[in-house]
Amino acid sequence: MATRLQFENNCDIGVFSKLTNAYCLVAIGGSENFYSTFEAELADAIPVVKTSIGGTRIIGRLCAGNKNGLLLPHTTTDQELQHLRNSIPDQVVVQRIDERLSALGNCIACNDHVALTHTDLDKETEELIADVLGVEVFRQTIAGNILVGSYCAFSNRGGLVHPHTSIEDLDELSTLLQVPLVAGTVNRGSEVIAAGMTVNDWTAFCGSDTTATELSVIESVFKLREAQPNAIVDEMRKSLIDSYV
Amino acid sequence: MGRVRALFSAKAQAQALVHQYIFLLFVQSLNLLGCTVVTSERFFDAGPHPLRPSAIDREAMTRRPTRCPRFLKPQPFAFSAFARSVAQVASTFKHKRQTHNPKFQEKVIPKSSDDRFMKHSLKEEAGTSESSDEEERNEIIKADFAFFDPKSDDFHGVKILLQTYLDNKQWDLSGFVDLVLAQTTVGTVVKLEDADDDGLFSVVTAVNLGRYKDNICIMELKGYLLEVCQEKNVSSKLGLILGKEASNVGLLVSQRVVNLPPQLLPPLYDALFDEVSWAIEDEPTEELRDSFRFKYYLVLTRIYKSANKQKGTSRHYCDEPIIYIKPEDEIFHKLSSWSFSFPLQTQQLAMHELRNYRLTGLVMAVEADKIPTFRKELQSLISEF
Repeated sequence: MATRLQFENNCDIGVFSKLTNAYCLVAIGGSENFYSTFEAELADAIPVVKTSIGGTRIIGRLCAGNKNGLLLPHTTTDQELQHLRNSIPDQVVVQRIDERLSALGNCIACNDHVALTHTDLDKETEELIADVLGVEVFRQTIAGNILVGSYCAFSNRGGLVHPHTSIEDLDELSTLLQVPLVAGTVNRGSEVIAAGMTVNDWTAFCGSDTTATELSVIESVFKLREAQPNAIVDEMRKSLIDSYV
Repeated sequence: MGRVRALFSAKAQAQALVHQYIFLLFVQSLNLLGCTVVTSERFFDAGPHPLRPSAIDREAMTRRPTRCPRFLKPQPFAFSAFARSVAQVASTFKHKRQTHNPKFQEKVIPKSSDDRFMKHSLKEEAGTSESSDEEERNEIIKADFAFFDPKSDDFHGVKILLQTYLDNKQWDLSGFVDLVLAQTTVGTVVKLEDADDDGLFSVVTAVNLGRYKDNICIMELKGYLLEVCQEKNVSSKLGLILGKEASNVGLLVSQRVVNLPPQLLPPLYDALFDEVSWAIEDEPTEELRDSFRFKYYLVLTRIYKSANKQKGTSRHYCDEPIIYIKPEDEIFHKLSSWSFSFPLQTQQLAMHELRNYRLTGLVMAVEADKIPTFRKELQSLISEF
């Protein structure tokens, strides 16, 4: 199920949070509403960790991670690193990397198996990504934008990309990522998908400006509705009604 | 250089490059007062805004940390250089109801589908400007601003301008923006003429508090104003204006980027008040016509108030009790029937010249009869600039 929420009047959820299958990072500050919405959805399944990175709240755009690991920029302080290591499950490798392009969330988009990265990322960083996150790394652009981490969001079940992505690019990316992809928007026409929403395999969070249409696209491409009884009934109905007399 | 990214965002990269130099000048004093800029942590906020530098710009900028100190210093004379150049074209800017020939000189940027090529050309430009800071400050950029009726596509631009309207209170901002944009008869947005992207520089409108009293955003706004009013003698007047007299009160919303050329202000306000008087005659229903017969205008704005309690005998400029961020606020304040100020909860960016000042909110009620005086005084004030 997709939930709509705001961070201090701001609909850019993906900037202030990072959601994976093993943990969730949330920015400090704002009202407690933000944190408690995540808690309400996720508390029984995964830890929700409040943190800052390099003293800032834009943690979603600075770090990249999946269930295997978490990569942090060089601007992360030692205390923050320690706090994250303590709060996140032990099987997740938390690593601070020295990369010139420090907004890792903007440069790297990944799920548990594949990662798309900025074309100018260092070779060492690419190897670290493959090691720490346990993924196959592809240097790609999305609709001509090199900040792949900003313009697409994908999980192990589906993905949403920049609305101006061509059909050929969509097919190519879909083959690389091995998940169905759809070109769409979030937050009432915003093209910066990853800033407006954050997603994992069973739930998604979007900015409150997201329209009902956008939300339904998100729920269908990320297959968040499958657990709902209605969906099953609807799908079955077509096969149940054989003929009208 | 974090501040470069702070405010604007663009939909398409190619267009962003065209405006790159325009807002490179802007951003130098963006953080001076930060009325629409949130904290520097928004550097990588990839939220939508029409004038965001392209992905390429942003990454290119991150590779040059030496540019950082330059952007952090406020450089008002850069603004005035820009203003001088715009003054040349200010007289030819297009009012909504007039036509004119655009003289927009586009900076020639090679547009290519190849990302690498664009990146290199950007590097070259940035490289030359880095070595010649002086030249960039004196560079003249021509831009034509045009006034448009608000339309629903302007949602993101207007939302960003109104982000800090009620300080850090969580309220139905999107609903308020929708309300402003739905009112096409009264209200103006300022954009560049011929701009492909919807880069919004300013929004001005007057919203009848009685007409929209059932909207959640208006109720929250009224609640906020009543909450922050600490002065007892004023709060009863405020209560009256928000309650019984609400149908005669227009909330004057005027937000813009910090260094929009002041030459645009007299025509902008003229446009607003002219539209109000036209609406009184032209609106289809009696109810709507009456809703624009404002008796009062309510203005919610921000000022810098001196934190020094002593009665300074020195004549240094920084001992002025109040610094107005928007020049028209001074005139409004003078003409207001009553006003009150209140402390803001958001942290202000500490600037050297303003270290003795605190950012404060100000609410004023101006009688509608005083508006012609206001227009005249604004005209003479701006002509002094």
